[in-house]
Amino acid sequence: MTDCGCDKAKAELEEYLRRELSDQDFTDITDHLANCEDCTGEHLVGITLTMKVRKACAETAPEDLRAAILSKLAKA
Amino acid sequence: MNPYSGTEHREGGRVNTALATRPGASSGGDLELALMSTDELPEPADVTAERAAADKRALFEEQALPFMDQLYAAAMRMTRNPSDAADLVQETFVKAFQAFAQYQQGTNLKAWLYRIQTNTFINNYRKKQRDPYQGTIDDLEDWQLGGAESVTQSLSTRSAEAEAIDHLPDSAVKDALQSIPEDFRLAVYFADVEGFSYQEIADIMKTPVGTVMSRLHRGRRMLRDLLSDYARGRGIAVTPTTTRSTK
Repeated sequence: MTDCGCDKAKAELEEYLRRELSDQDFTDITDHLANCEDCTGEHLVGITLTMKVRKACAETAPEDLRAAILSKLAKA
Repeated sequence: MNPYSGTEHREGGRVNTALATRPGASSGGDLELALMSTDELPEPADVTAERAAADKRALFEEQALPFMDQLYAAAMRMTRNPSDAADLVQETFVKAFQAFAQYQQGTNLKAWLYRIQTNTFINNYRKKQRDPYQGTIDDLEDWQLGGAESVTQSLSTRSAEAEAIDHLPDSAVKDALQSIPEDFRLAVYFADVEGFSYQEIADIMKTPVGTVMSRLHRGRRMLRDLLSDYARGRGIAVTPTTTRSTK
């Protein structure tokens, strides 16, 4: 660890993951991650969690749902 | 910035061709033929109105229906069962169609549909489910929710934790998501699955951005602890082969 940005990085990793930071903060954390194994590991857990949730939640609607909706819209 | 993502662009392209060939268009074509072959009779008002209504429905169907699978997936996370989820999506589309005049073309249709579905869910379904956390959840302290850093520390390293989570079955992830309080679950779903911005989630859930962030942080923390516990229970996270992150 070459800098002391861990507190800031850890606090904002979720926002970093979702690109909800200002350009400056985003750059700061990117720089920090390049030098900090601990925060990089934490970031990896965050990315993994997001990817897992995204994959697990994929669903395809039942086949008859589209027809049911169209029929309701025709009467609406 | 265009609020539509890549897939929505693609849908938009498809919409134009679909509009030209939709089944309902044939009556309009016949009418035009009829008008051309006879004298130039003015189009009756009721026919014009009928055609406008058909056009409105076609436009709605072509813009909104591509979101059906996504809305159904969200409905599954909301209602937790396929039958209620299908009903909720149907209701959402009917309501959205009835309110379609209020939708501003060019704004984020997906977020608009999610707002309607979330409202419908809260008004019609949440009452049935008697969520014990409802109304108080944002006021609970973290220790009351069981979210604590220490839980994950016994996994040897963070990269081992990431690897363990990565190897979990989808069913474990869904179960964990279903078990966290609804407001947290929805915030996590909207952010991580749908990729909505904090501001969009705030609009959908009708809550300040700060509350969205708090729900996300806490929801993610609970999810992570549940999954790490699950992995440890299954003996998945027992191989600290490296202390170095590989990605």
